Amino acid sequence: MLRCEAVGKRYGGGRWVLRDVDMRISAGDVLAVVGGNGSGKSTLLRILAGLSRPTSGSVSRRLTHIGYVPDRFTPHDRVSALSYLTHLGRIRGLSTSAARARGDHLLERLSLVGEREAPLRTLSKGNAQKVALAQALLVRPDLLVLDEPWSGLDASAHGVLSELIGETAAQGGAVVFTDHREAIAETHAEGVHVISDGRVTSHGGGRGGRGAAVVELVLAVPPAGGRPAEVNWSALPGVDDSASRDGEVVLRVAREHLDAVLLTALRHRWSVAGLTGTAGGPRHRFDMRRSAL
Amino acid sequence: MTALVRYLFTVLLLSQRCVAPLLLFVGLVAVLTGSDAGPLTATYASVAGAMLPCSVWLTMALLGLEDRAHRSIVVVSAGSHLRVLLATVGTAAVWCLLLAAAGLLLPLMFGTHTPGPADLALGVEAQLTCALTGMAIGLVCSRLVFRRQGYALVLALVLLLAALLGRGVSPVNIMLTRLQNASDSADALVPTAGPLAVAAGFLAVGAAVTQAITLRKA
Repeated sequence: MLRCEAVGKRYGGGRWVLRDVDMRISAGDVLAVVGGNGSGKSTLLRILAGLSRPTSGSVSRRLTHIGYVPDRFTPHDRVSALSYLTHLGRIRGLSTSAARARGDHLLERLSLVGEREAPLRTLSKGNAQKVALAQALLVRPDLLVLDEPWSGLDASAHGVLSELIGETAAQGGAVVFTDHREAIAETHAEGVHVISDGRVTSHGGGRGGRGAAVVELVLAVPPAGGRPAEVNWSALPGVDDSASRDGEVVLRVAREHLDAVLLTALRHRWSVAGLTGTAGGPRHRFDMRRSAL
Repeated sequence: MTALVRYLFTVLLLSQRCVAPLLLFVGLVAVLTGSDAGPLTATYASVAGAMLPCSVWLTMALLGLEDRAHRSIVVVSAGSHLRVLLATVGTAAVWCLLLAAAGLLLPLMFGTHTPGPADLALGVEAQLTCALTGMAIGLVCSRLVFRRQGYALVLALVLLLAALLGRGVSPVNIMLTRLQNASDSADALVPTAGPLAVAAGFLAVGAAVTQAITLRKA
């Protein structure tokens, strides 16, 4: 859907803000870009959103609708929040009534209820951020680019933002967001890209990462119970490797077959002694946590 | 494109930054054409001269309204930088046409004239020439090109004076001096088309320069 190849960016003759960035974004991806202040996160997002052209390398995109939320949205407009959204909806090709209805709906979800008619310039930072978020979702985006969307939003809006990100991804749109806190990035994204010194490294890489992740499963004889039945572990689908040590069985299982293998093991009266992710890094931990919930 | 123009027009209207150039225009027209009974060619030449600084001011005000983040949202919504720039030019043109309508009618109210269709056509032509030149200057001196508006303002004044006073070089100056000495509007219509075409060329060049610099800075 969107592909960056060896993308580099610098302004004028200044230092390289980004260098050799390779990135692939496909439908349904939720990616986070993590990095310190001034590390080039915003520049990368501006390139992804098509606002900025890379100095070197190429970006190919097959997208029609992009939603973009900048990191700072401090409007000086006297137009009201709702009328701003109506205007932007019309610019995106909606009819006036459709744009107004959609804007109204989004503002209600983000609970900007009392201030819909207030001029944009009077809105607080958090409320302005909500308007910025709403405008990006007026038309269902194929790519939603969010620059530090969590900052400035209150706790309830955090929940709505996660929902909106989830919905966009579920409807076949890709989401890319930045944050300087890795914890937030890991909670909300499937793949994390870390940016430092202008270089981007994939951290638990989004694409195909889930399928490739392998889990190490340690099965033991239950402490209070009889001997478990013998199972030909290697014959089960998804088991890469099986070994016995001190009466325990250690299996390396592909993530997508883990549940089936666990079920087989439990049915044969094995006890689960340990479960660790061996590939995929932090993202993997997140998978385990999520499957536990 | 209509939606974009409508949005930009509304934003400028509500910001009230259009009030000062509008008042300046009306004031200049009133001073320059008040209790005037001479030929309308000279009258409309003065009105066109007043249009020049006002169109520069309006265009700069229009482009200076939005900060980078704000403009980014409009650009992403519209799909490209170029579309937003063209809509900005269109919006400035709408404002200048409103001014031009006032510039046509006000001298007839302030002075004693008997206007014919040729006079009105000449009035539109002369004002349009100045408006297009002014929009070109306004684009090049806008916030898209100069981040520091102090320098931009100085450059705008220099370009404005060059356009008004550049004897024999500036199409605006050539047109205005010719009209001051002309007596019949119908005869002046065709020679004025030359400067109008040159002014349209200026605007195209100004827009191209602005677009190139915007993309470089983006």
